[in-house]
Amino acid sequence: MIGTAAGIVRQITEGARSAASVLAETKALIQAKDPGLNCFTAKTFERAEREAAAIDGLRAQGKPLPPLAGVPYAVKNLFDVEGTVTLAGAKINAANPAAAGDAAIVARMSRAGAVLVGALNMEELAYGFLTENHHYGITRNPRDPTRGAGGSSGGSAAAVGAGIVPLTLGSDTSGSIRVPASLCGVFGLKPTYGRLPRSGTYPFVNSLDHVGPFANDVLGLALSYDAMQGPDSRDPACAQRPAEPVGVSLALRRGIRIGILGGWFHQWADPAARCSVQLAAAALGATEWTELKSAEVARAAAYIITGAEGGALHRPRLIEQYEDFGPASRARLVAGSLIPATWVVQAQRVRQQAYREAIELFERFDLLIAAAAPAVAPRVGQETLEINGRSIPTKAGLGVLTQPISCIGLPVCTVPVWPDEGETAAERALPVGVQLIGAPWREDTCLAAARTLEQAGVAQIRLP
Amino acid sequence: MTEALDKSLASYVRAALALQGYAFDEAQIAEIVLQFSRLEAIAQSVFDWPLPFASEAAPVFRP
Repeated sequence: MIGTAAGIVRQITEGARSAASVLAETKALIQAKDPGLNCFTAKTFERAEREAAAIDGLRAQGKPLPPLAGVPYAVKNLFDVEGTVTLAGAKINAANPAAAGDAAIVARMSRAGAVLVGALNMEELAYGFLTENHHYGITRNPRDPTRGAGGSSGGSAAAVGAGIVPLTLGSDTSGSIRVPASLCGVFGLKPTYGRLPRSGTYPFVNSLDHVGPFANDVLGLALSYDAMQGPDSRDPACAQRPAEPVGVSLALRRGIRIGILGGWFHQWADPAARCSVQLAAAALGATEWTELKSAEVARAAAYIITGAEGGALHRPRLIEQYEDFGPASRARLVAGSLIPATWVVQAQRVRQQAYREAIELFERFDLLIAAAAPAVAPRVGQETLEINGRSIPTKAGLGVLTQPISCIGLPVCTVPVWPDEGETAAERALPVGVQLIGAPWREDTCLAAARTLEQAGVAQIRLP
Repeated sequence: MTEALDKSLASYVRAALALQGYAFDEAQIAEIVLQFSRLEAIAQSVFDWPLPFASEAAPVFRP
């Protein structure tokens, strides 16, 4: 057991463990567990040795330790890591030169004392909710290796879910943190759009791309989130507002108003997903149902914006290197690049309207809750999901509950809940995550609710 | 989807591919037409959503 981020910092501070010994344990865990899961696409052990030695040096000199001192972590392979090629899950990037520097949030994690051990597998170009990567292999679910880890940040969720590292970083355009967090049973934070800088991150859809952490507990999310906050002028979407640290004394204020999202979010949640929501609602004392009426159209708007921006971004290489793109993404990307401008403008207008509806909802509620995925993790290669008598392609269907929320940029903490629902024992052993959705810039509320659920024993990691 | 819409989408895709400088074989074009028709189906709900005339779009641009 590698431990939690806060636990590791405490042990290193007290001298019970050294950063070097934590790193050695992490390397052994990677060696033992990764071959069966395929989380890692690169290991950065030389760098990790240097970073761990620096932490142990600080302690030996009696100097104060940074907030993530000696905590091992890994990043989705779309973040620039100095000296490593930024693959973004694609063959078309494999021959690129190695990154000359770190992505902004990787540099901030390093400054906070975290120890980078590697880069993680993902869906090609972040386009999809699975990590069944044509070039770099399938990342499997640590709870059940016959099932997928979800995506696109599948390696990030699986590495935490398997107990290899306590922290990872991922990105979320339409659900790519929340869906794999749900399927692998880990905590994930998608902050408000523009909260964390994306500089040095391989883009997909500039209008929708978010970055954020995964962790094996809520304090790990909070510590890493605080370490990564702050403006960065290199990312034009990054809000030029000061860091607003949430700290580790997360407590839900009395009288908080919580709404359970019905309508679209109930229709597309199967019995296990509904059970997860009920468990979370009961623990939070939430009884009132509400609706985000524009959810369906917000999802559609996200689809159009994603297709158009993703297609336009990759058009030059689709012309030159079509066969080097994976079969699951190339025709979709080309089709996206043909979307007429009127569709995109209309989608962006719808997006603004959906945002306004959500803001009105937050006059009545402080927090909204919904399932993070419509069902438990699908089997690898499973083509469709059956949700309440309706069939939907797995690739698109896994994001049906996350897309409407990221389309309007709201902060969400996803927590692992274990509904004990399903036809088979294997299904009953799987989690479905719950989205704790806050008003813009209220990550503190999302994290405090997550902490409440964790302390109540409703949201927790279960190592395989 | 009606046959007429089918044909019109396929024609649009062929014209747009040419306009954007792509050159694909028939099997590749058929797959792209299929993907584009899925996008078109989803786009309909975006067009059907009632919007105030003066509602603004929401792209990010901060000079």
